[in-house]
Amino acid sequence: MIALSVRDLSLAIGRTNIVDAISFDVAPGEVLALVGESGCGKSVTAQAIMRLLPAAIRQTGGEITLGATSLSNLPARAMRDLRGRQIAMIFQEPQSALDPLATVGNQIAEALRQPLAKVRAEVRQMLVEVGISDPDRRIDQHPFELSGGMCQRVMIAIALIARPAVLIADEPTTALDVTIQAQILALLRRLAAERQTAVVLITHDMGVVADIADRVAVMYAGRVAETGPTAAVFATPAHPYTALLLASIPRLSDVPKSALAVIDGQVPQPADYGAGCRFAGRCPRADRRCVAETPALRPVADGRLVACFHPVGG
Amino acid sequence: METILEITDLCVHFPGRGGAPVRAVDGVSLHIAPGETLGLVGESGCGKSTIANAAVGLLAPTSGRVVVAGTDIVGASPRLLREVRAQVQMVFQDPITSLNPRMTIGTAIGESLLVRGRAAGAALRARVGELLQEVGLRPDHADRYPHQFSGGQRQRVVIARALALRPALLVCDEAVSALDVSVRAQILNLLVALQARYGMAMLFVSHDLAVVRHVCDRVAVMYLGQLAEIAPRDALFASPRHPYTRALIAAVPDPDPAVQRARVSVPLVGEIPSPANPPPGCRFHTRCPVAVARCAVDVPALRSVGAAMVACHLA
Amino acid sequence: MRRISLGTALIFAGLLAFIVAAIGADVFASNDPLRQSLLLRLRPPGTATATAYFPLGTDDLGRDLLARILYGARASLMVAALSVSVSLLVGVTLGLMAGWFGGWVSIVAMRAVDTMLSIPAILLAVLTVAVLGPGFFNLVLVLGLTRWPRYTRVAYAQTLQVAALPYVRAAEMAGCGPGRILLRHVLPNIAGPLMVVATSEFGLMILFEASLSFLGLGIQPPYPSWGSIMSAGRQYVVRAWWLTAFPGACLFGVVLCVNLFGDWLRDRVDPRSQGR
Repeated sequence: MIALSVRDLSLAIGRTNIVDAISFDVAPGEVLALVGESGCGKSVTAQAIMRLLPAAIRQTGGEITLGATSLSNLPARAMRDLRGRQIAMIFQEPQSALDPLATVGNQIAEALRQPLAKVRAEVRQMLVEVGISDPDRRIDQHPFELSGGMCQRVMIAIALIARPAVLIADEPTTALDVTIQAQILALLRRLAAERQTAVVLITHDMGVVADIADRVAVMYAGRVAETGPTAAVFATPAHPYTALLLASIPRLSDVPKSALAVIDGQVPQPADYGAGCRFAGRCPRADRRCVAETPALRPVADGRLVACFHPVGG
Repeated sequence: METILEITDLCVHFPGRGGAPVRAVDGVSLHIAPGETLGLVGESGCGKSTIANAAVGLLAPTSGRVVVAGTDIVGASPRLLREVRAQVQMVFQDPITSLNPRMTIGTAIGESLLVRGRAAGAALRARVGELLQEVGLRPDHADRYPHQFSGGQRQRVVIARALALRPALLVCDEAVSALDVSVRAQILNLLVALQARYGMAMLFVSHDLAVVRHVCDRVAVMYLGQLAEIAPRDALFASPRHPYTRALIAAVPDPDPAVQRARVSVPLVGEIPSPANPPPGCRFHTRCPVAVARCAVDVPALRSVGAAMVACHLA
Repeated sequence: MRRISLGTALIFAGLLAFIVAAIGADVFASNDPLRQSLLLRLRPPGTATATAYFPLGTDDLGRDLLARILYGARASLMVAALSVSVSLLVGVTLGLMAGWFGGWVSIVAMRAVDTMLSIPAILLAVLTVAVLGPGFFNLVLVLGLTRWPRYTRVAYAQTLQVAALPYVRAAEMAGCGPGRILLRHVLPNIAGPLMVVATSEFGLMILFEASLSFLGLGIQPPYPSWGSIMSAGRQYVVRAWWLTAFPGACLFGVVLCVNLFGDWLRDRVDPRSQGR
C-alpha cells in the first residue's frame, strides 16, 4: 500500500528546469528522507506536493497521487480541503510558522476546523501526545511564550491532529539545538509509527537521516542520484556523490585534524545544467559518456536504485 | 604559562525586557596557549558567541578581564584596541553578510594592511594575491565582487582577510555552520592546513560537536552562560564527566544508521531555561538526569577531575 | 538584459525632455524671455508677427511665453538640484554620525529632526525669506537647510542596520577609523534608499520653488519661474488661459515624472529584488 506517490515530477523557473523527473513512493508509517545540499530541489519538491509553489515556479510534468487521489489536476478548493486533513506540513522555523496573535489551542483547533471550546479535550490530548508538559496552561498561551522546541511540538500537533495520511517535514529540526533536535526526532518517529503516518522528511543533515529515515533519496541538482533503504545506502553508497558526501562529514569516530574527503568545485546553477549527469563536472569517476548522456535510475544490490554509469563497487 | 588569550571571571549582562538583565556570560574563565585550538560548544543562548565577541573587543564586558597577547582589552582606548587587533582576527558565520557587497574582495582583504600602513600599491596587490592563493583562490579574483562567488568561496575570502595581518589568534564564530556539507569539509580542511602552516591559535565556537572534535585540541562546554566542563579533546569525548556533556555527545546523530540505531540514548527532557532567569544552584539541574537535592541549592564550582575541569557536584 | 516597459520609457522621456529643455533653454527659445512689447500683450498661442513667432502666446508684458517657460524650467532644475544637494549633504552626514556614534550624538540629531519636522515647511521658508530677502541663493539655502530631516531619518535607520553586519565588524577589526567605515562600508550600502528619498524630495523642491515664486518669495521678476508666470497669469485666467495652463501643465508633468521615477527606483533598490 502506498500513501503518497510522486511520478516523474518536473519543475521549472521560466524555461530553466530545476527539478527533473523525480519519482518516489512513501508507505503508511514509513519515513522517507529527501536529502541533499542547498539548491538540489528538495524543498521545492515538498512545496509542489503541497501545491504551494511560489508563483515563479511551474510544474512542467509528472503526477502526484495521494492515496487514490491525483493532486495534479485537483481544483484549488478541493486541494485546500485536503491540506491539513489528508496531507500536512511542518517547517524549519516553527516560531514564524505559527500565528503570533492566536493561542496555541486555537491554532490546533483550527486544523480540525472546529471552535476550540468544542474540541478542547481532543486538543489537550494532542498536546500531551506531542510531549508538552502542563498542557492545561500551554493551551491558552501564545507562541511567544514558548521556546523553539515547544513551538515545533505545537506545529506537529497542528499537523497531526486531523490524522493526515502524509506529513511533509521540511528541515523540522534545523533551527533547533541538538538536545532539542533529539527530542523532536524521537517524537516524529514515535508518532509516525503509532498513527501510521507516511513522512517525507526534507533535510540536509545525514545524521538526521541515519536517525529516523527508513528509506532515503539522495538528491543532486534537481535529480535523484540514489535511493533505497537507509541502512544499505549508508553502508555501501553506490553513487559517487553519496559516497563522497558521507566521507566529507566529520564524525565522532574519525581521526581529529585528518583531511576530510572533499567534493571539488560547487553545485552547478540550474542555468548551467548540461546534457549528461549533473555531477559529472565534480565526479572523480566521470568519463565522456557521463558528460554526454543522462544516466537513468537503475537497480543495484539491496533494493536500491542509482543513477550512475559507474557506480561505486559495481 | 604563556597564553595568547586569557579570560578571567568574564561577565556579560545585557539589559533584559522585564527588568532582569540577561546574564549571557556569567563568570567564565578560560585561556588559550599559542598555537592551540580551543573549542567552545553549547546550545543557543549559552553565551559562546558572546565570549567570541568579547575576546576580540567587539563587545564590552560587564566585568572581568580579557587579556589578548599580554594586553587587557577591557576598557582599552580605541588606539590600544586597534593595536591588539593586529594579533587577533575573526571569521564570522554568514559568508554573505561578512563581505561588503560594494567592495572588491581584493580591497577587503588588503584593507587592514592598507589602513595600518603595512603595504600599499603594487606590494599590497602582490600580498593580496598571495593571500588569495593561500586560501585556494586565484590572484585575479581580487577585482571581483562578493556576489560573483559561492558561499564556500566567500568564506575563503573571509579567512584570507582575517589572515592578512598574520594574527596570533583566530576567532571562528560558527565559521562553517552556514555552509553545505561538502563545502564545510573544504573549509575545515583549509583551516586545519592553515593552522599547521602558520601556527596561530584558534578559538573555535560551534554548536556542532563532531566539527569541534575534528579541529580542536581542548574543548570547553558551556551551558546557560557558564562553563560546564573544559578538558582535552580526547578526554572529553572518551570520558565526558559532566552530565550535560554526556547528553550533548549522545544527542549528536551519527551519520551511520547502524551506529545511530544501536545507541541507547535517552534524549534530555525539558527546555533550555531563559538566561534572564537562570535556575538556582547548578543551572543544569532542571534537565539533569542524575540531579540530587543539593544541585538545586549549591552552585558547583569548577574543579579538577582527572584531566578535566568540571562544574558538577557528582563528577 | 533587463527589458524596460513602455511606461518606464515614457517616464525617462519626460525627465529627459525637462532636463534638456532646462539646459538648452537659450537654444530652444527663439525669443528673449525678458524682452517686453506692450503692443503684443496677451496674444494667444500661435501668434505670428513679421519678425517673431509665439507658439504659446505672450504674457501681460508681451514677452514670449515659450521662452519664459523654458527659462523657468532652468530655474526649477537648478533650485531643485542645488537644494537637494545641500539637504542631502547635511542630512546624510547627521544621519551617518547619529547611527554610528549613538549616545548623545544621536539624541541631539534625532531631536533636531523631530523639531524641524514639526515646523510647517512653507511657513518656515516664508519667514526665512522675509528675513534674508528673496532671491535665487536664499531660496536654495532655505530649501536646502529646511529639508534635511528626511535624509537624516533614513540614513540613521539604515546605518543602524548596516553597522550591525559582520562586514562592518570586520572593518573595525581591520583597524579602519570611523571615517573610512562610514564612507567605504556604510554609505555605499545605504545609497539606494537615500536616492529614493532624494528623488521624491526633488519633485517636492520643484513644487516648493514654484509655490514660493508664486507667492513672490522665490525667483524675482523679471526673471521667469513657473510659479511667478502663473502668479502673473492669475488675474487673466479668463482672458488668457494659456498663462496659467501651460506652466501649470509643465509643473504637473515634471513632478509626476519625477515621482514615478522615484517609484521605479524604489523597486530597483528593494533589497528583495537585489542579488545582495
